[in-house]
Amino acid sequence: MALLELDAVSQRFGGLKALTDFSISLEEGELVGLIGPNGAGKTTVFNLVSGFYVPSEGAITFAGRPTRGLKPHQVTALGMARTFQNIRLWNDMSVLDNIRLAHYHRLGYGLADAILRTRRYRQAEKDIERESRKILEVMDLADFAGEFPKNLPYGLQRRVELARALSTRPRLLLLDEPAAGLNSADVDGLIRLIRWIYEEFKICIWMIEHQMKVVMSLCQRLMVIDFGITIASGTPKEIQNNPEVIKAYLGDSAL
Amino acid sequence: MQRYSINVGFFLLALTLIGAAYAGLLDNYTLTVLMFMGINIIFASSLNLVNGYMGEFSCGHAGFMCVGAYVGALLSLALFGGGKPFGPPLLPPELAVFFFPLVLIAAGLVSALFGLLVALPSFHTRGDYLAIITIAANYIIISVIENIDAIGGPRGLSGMKKNINAMSDFFEAPWMFIWVILVTFVCVIILYRLVTSTCGKGVSAVCQNEVAAEIMGVDTNRVKIMAFMLSSGLAGVSGALYAHVYGYVNAQSFNILKSTEGMVMVYLGGMGSLSGVVMAAVAFTLLVEGLRFAIPALNGVLHDLSLLPASFEVSQVWKWVIIPLILILLMQFRPEGLLGNRELTHVFPRLKKWVSFK
Repeated sequence: MALLELDAVSQRFGGLKALTDFSISLEEGELVGLIGPNGAGKTTVFNLVSGFYVPSEGAITFAGRPTRGLKPHQVTALGMARTFQNIRLWNDMSVLDNIRLAHYHRLGYGLADAILRTRRYRQAEKDIERESRKILEVMDLADFAGEFPKNLPYGLQRRVELARALSTRPRLLLLDEPAAGLNSADVDGLIRLIRWIYEEFKICIWMIEHQMKVVMSLCQRLMVIDFGITIASGTPKEIQNNPEVIKAYLGDSAL
Repeated sequence: MQRYSINVGFFLLALTLIGAAYAGLLDNYTLTVLMFMGINIIFASSLNLVNGYMGEFSCGHAGFMCVGAYVGALLSLALFGGGKPFGPPLLPPELAVFFFPLVLIAAGLVSALFGLLVALPSFHTRGDYLAIITIAANYIIISVIENIDAIGGPRGLSGMKKNINAMSDFFEAPWMFIWVILVTFVCVIILYRLVTSTCGKGVSAVCQNEVAAEIMGVDTNRVKIMAFMLSSGLAGVSGALYAHVYGYVNAQSFNILKSTEGMVMVYLGGMGSLSGVVMAAVAFTLLVEGLRFAIPALNGVLHDLSLLPASFEVSQVWKWVIIPLILILLMQFRPEGLLGNRELTHVFPRLKKWVSFK
């Protein structure tokens, strides 16, 4: 059974149709790309999938459950994590606290436990601390555990955001333009990092990306949308030579 | 060592204060100032949860204090008599000492319910709009209470002191002082434990990036309800204490000026800093008390130097010029407050051996 299924999903904002009849089915363990020119509706797709928008039409099923009516935090609890195009870390909290908070949806204790400092609270906090340190270690961030994200260089902030998303223990990881704002050396590092995450955590990754180098070297298959309409899908090779795609990116005269 | 040090430290401090009061080392005036210090600490640090940690802008915090004060006062009068609104007391006065904590808890719970008044609109609005809603809530609460004649209306309620005095029949001790000190420490520990837990850090996550909080699995609406209810509940407890320290309540004591006092303390101490706000509440209480002496002294000096016409007196009303002025100067020169959103342990790293805000 597919991990994530979008069936003819459409989204309207007032009179604007941001997305029309979008369908996709992601299997466990796939690495898929979503590309398209600016304003094509890519981030809208992610906002629909993660529960920020309720689709005007169509159905989304994640892990065998229709997600209509679920809040984003409930979708996260089902096993979906996401990073943002413009990094959204909690800037006045240490990197370690950022990671710790990603365990929020399975804390296993309540407000009363926190105030009374019950054994359950102490055990849960100890587990969270251990797991957070571990993920910082494997993501090469251990040295920055006590820093505030706002004081870190951009590339490291990206890595912290990835580590935070992974800490929710997702089955599906949505990456919204992970290479945005990185220089070419950082991009190579990011490609290696995403491939390593993909192999190490054995999760399904769905990414939006503009930089062809990233999608071409990582994704097994690609979907291209323009003005909210799916114009092509296939392997990176097929997409590269698709005249529709070239037209969408470069304009009619390129042909 | 770290795990128990803060509790042990608080316990020893409380014990010292209570011991000194019991032994009669502190005069009545000092006791009263210390009690208001405690009430201000609870009031300010509970407001800090919403205005500091959560980054909302609640301007009507005194409204919840008012609810707590009236619930506490009414319960006290109903259970042990002494006031007009109710008939004969339901319980003999000897039990007052055992039931007082229950009175406080009830006051906190009812105020927490009123906190929902503000929590629910906060799902849809933030910032300026929520500030207006909270001011409105403050006025609604005061106006409603003032217009219910059965609970004293604009005349207020009195007679609670009698119940506090009744506690001394059980055992001779400065009971009111003991209660205020104990409850203050309990409230500060509750807030400390909340903001240092991962559960409580969800509150800061909502403040710093609500979208990220929601997407990383934090139920933001639930966090808001929890923070508003806890905050208003503790404000209610401080109100109930206030009612019993004064022995008299009047809805107008909890108007926008009282809310402003709370905000001055929060912004003075530093938003999102528990230790900062506690220090600010202590400093603010001392300042207000200091002005009580400083203003007549200043008045005298100015008249002696003939700088003021004999017909003009600098009265206590000038307190309400000086305190807002402090707020203006603070916003100009140190908008983040004394400690910003840091804690004492950041300023004095050696304290980390004893207390951790991690």
